[in-house]
Amino acid sequence: MTSYILLVLGAVLVNNFVLNRFLGICPFLGVSKKLETSLGMSGAVIFVMTCAAAVTWCVDHYLLKPYGLDYLQTIAFILVIAAFVQLVEMLLKRYVPPLYSALGIYLPLITTNCAVLGVAVMNVQNKSGFVESTVFACAAGCGFALALTIFTGLREKIERADPPRAFRGVAIALVTAGLLSLAFMGFNGLVK
Amino acid sequence: MITSILVVSGIGLVCGVALALGARYLSVEENPLIGTVTELLLGANCGACGYAGCGGYAQAIVAGEAPPNRCPSCTPEALAQISAALGIAPIEAAAREVALVLCRGDDEQAQKRFVYDGITDCAAAAAVGGGDKACRYGCLGYGTCLRACPAGAIEMVNGVARVHPELCISCRKCVAACPRGIIRMVPAASHTHIFCSSRDPGATVRKVCKVGCIGCRICTRLAEGAITMDGTLAVVDYKQPLDNEELPAKCPGKCILKV
Amino acid sequence: MKVSPAPFLFRGGIHPPDSKTATAALPLKDLPLPARLEVSTSQHLGAPAAPCVAVGDRVTAGQLIAKASGFISANVHAPAAGTIAAIREAPTPTGRTATAIIIETDADAPAGEPPYKPIPDWREQAPRSLLDRVAEAGIVGMGGAGFPTHVKLSPPGDKPIDTLILNGAECEPFLNSDNRLLIERAEQVWEGCQIIRRILGAGTIRVAIEDNKREAAKALAAAMESAPDDAHIHLLKTLYPQGSEKQQIYSVTGRTVPMGGLPMDVGCVVENVATAYAVWDAVVNGRPLTARAITVTGDAVNTPTNWFAPVGTSFADLVAASGGARDNLAKLIAGGPMMGFALPSLEVAMSKTSSGLLLFPRECVRPYRSMACINCGRCVEACPLGLMPNELSQAAEADDIDEAENRHVMDCFECGACAYVCPARRPLVQHMRRAKAVITQRRRAAAQQKKT
Repeated sequence: MTSYILLVLGAVLVNNFVLNRFLGICPFLGVSKKLETSLGMSGAVIFVMTCAAAVTWCVDHYLLKPYGLDYLQTIAFILVIAAFVQLVEMLLKRYVPPLYSALGIYLPLITTNCAVLGVAVMNVQNKSGFVESTVFACAAGCGFALALTIFTGLREKIERADPPRAFRGVAIALVTAGLLSLAFMGFNGLVK
Repeated sequence: MITSILVVSGIGLVCGVALALGARYLSVEENPLIGTVTELLLGANCGACGYAGCGGYAQAIVAGEAPPNRCPSCTPEALAQISAALGIAPIEAAAREVALVLCRGDDEQAQKRFVYDGITDCAAAAAVGGGDKACRYGCLGYGTCLRACPAGAIEMVNGVARVHPELCISCRKCVAACPRGIIRMVPAASHTHIFCSSRDPGATVRKVCKVGCIGCRICTRLAEGAITMDGTLAVVDYKQPLDNEELPAKCPGKCILKV
Repeated sequence: MKVSPAPFLFRGGIHPPDSKTATAALPLKDLPLPARLEVSTSQHLGAPAAPCVAVGDRVTAGQLIAKASGFISANVHAPAAGTIAAIREAPTPTGRTATAIIIETDADAPAGEPPYKPIPDWREQAPRSLLDRVAEAGIVGMGGAGFPTHVKLSPPGDKPIDTLILNGAECEPFLNSDNRLLIERAEQVWEGCQIIRRILGAGTIRVAIEDNKREAAKALAAAMESAPDDAHIHLLKTLYPQGSEKQQIYSVTGRTVPMGGLPMDVGCVVENVATAYAVWDAVVNGRPLTARAITVTGDAVNTPTNWFAPVGTSFADLVAASGGARDNLAKLIAGGPMMGFALPSLEVAMSKTSSGLLLFPRECVRPYRSMACINCGRCVEACPLGLMPNELSQAAEADDIDEAENRHVMDCFECGACAYVCPARRPLVQHMRRAKAVITQRRRAAAQQKKT
């Protein structure tokens, strides 16, 4: 149990995917203008990461490993994840329209996102088991959600703060992201 | 070598079949016309048609709830294409109207009563002692209409708002935003306008502004019915043709301009 | 006797220099009748009164010249005998325009009978008849907002009133009109207060006076010698805005008016001392509200004076009677410096709610540049309501009116404490006012849409 708690803490705070590993920067900067959309994106990322980790673990464990095809990891994972997300999107659209209208438009955006692929690859590198992989992926998604929500809150405030002309828009957003990343460095050493 | 090719192709094949099946059995019916019409509309989402954005309007058009000529900024070609896509007889475009600020009393022409030192917003300025402009009807020049304009068609010239008719998309947002109510929609084809909204008597207007209507009625005689008096203010009746070239020169208030 | 410090103190508030010394000791002087009076039909909150005289008519002092139109409205009377010269649009001290009735006064007209029958035996009369008198005399809240008093004094049956608070705080700097009224006419104010209590059927009277006006408290205490045991004077700590209804209710009774609620929700009614005086005059003398105390002061007027002047007197006449304005006059404010309205010119007439006219010289009016909010939080500390003016103003500035509404901008009563302490000199009150105006407009439009 403790190991799982540590795993989650590590993925959410210490090795935050966005702020420490610098994965998934595009949605982090792209959809962080309004809290509403960033929450939708967060939900989508948590969902996709968890599912993708489960699927890729299976592909790795039952297909690639037995035939010694580890070097095909990246391409196989991209293929599987992309197809899987498309399928999920269709399923949602058909059977759970409210969930689709909340997450739908974000799903295609992250099909081949580096953070999603990163989780899959990392799970293989860490030689994690199935449950461990899924928990880690879910925690990583939560870490992404945390970073995105904090960042969106900051950006909403900055929008109103009337920064100097040269800093307006993406410039001040990048500076803020850097500062947020520095702040998260403070969690280093929390989990050994 | 062969194994790797087989494995990757296998994964691809399985995924492809799954997606194909999904597309076949899980797809949701959506009228493709809606997408076509949305693309043909301008996409400014200005709301001038009375619907929530262009998408909403497109849905209404396709459902037959609204005629396709409600969009004031739609070009005739686009309108023809929409009609063609819908398979209906081409509908004639409504005459294009553009917004016009009926005041040219800028910082040089019009006087101010006091120094306004507050937030840059016309409604806020109008709430402070009735606004700093000496004329109660004049453009305050704090740019509320400019910020309301989705097309960037309004410019502040020397403290008075001016609409660039070629950029105006006829959404009427500025008309609603102006606290003084001096922005009016006029036919884009008309070029001679009376740039004054003051209902004050001529003597009062003279005192506060060099380019105001003083209610002398000279223009009503020259325009032969195309200009009528509303109290002490001359107003153009855009339903009548107004082609007297002498008008701008003959106006003693210098508020009739051909643009 | 029954004088004691107030038991509670509201949160927030500020200490502006009170600047009252220039006029604190000056007795109220009756203003010589001006040649022309400009009586506005909109001297109160609510619908403007409807004129019921025509140009050329002769009117007597106290004659009804505009009738209340609708429930929230108030009658308007002629302050002096004379002839109606014109009925036209004129600016009000609050910066709007409204129909005004211009009277050329007749200084030689005999005083004549009071327009309404005096009721010296009001203690024997039914509260209902006294309330009718308040309504016909056109009495409005004279503290500033001008809410028609007869409406305030007829709360719905399910809201019993147990406490009447007489507001003599006068927390705005510079003003002394209420202070002088209390010092010189304490007995009348006290009797007016008792009349109001009879109308309300309220049990307790609490008088709230700031502790920098001990003379006024003493005068009122003397007048209250024979008062029933439950009446009590509370000295409030000198702190702006003690004179605001909700803050005063808390300071005196410890009750908190709920958000968006009214004083009657907690069983209180707050009346200004000037209103109490007007009620006394209307009931005991049968005279409608046509004159009030007004302080003319500031460094740009030659002789600061406390006037008792007829409503409709133009500010220009008031200033001329006060020895004229100095050349360095740069800013005019009708009312107090915190919540008053800046005037574009002296060609505006005083109304039933004009408690002061301030004239400031150029040196006092520094131009300034407002800067971005630095989130120091001083406005949050100063706000007597516990709102967050920093967030509200930034939301309003970014046109995020919904956000401002969610953060209760509608509760703001524009006391100006936040703008006073702001080190970035942000026009916070103006931002709130704009946000409130937009929200009011939206609500009205929504209500209209519902109707159709």
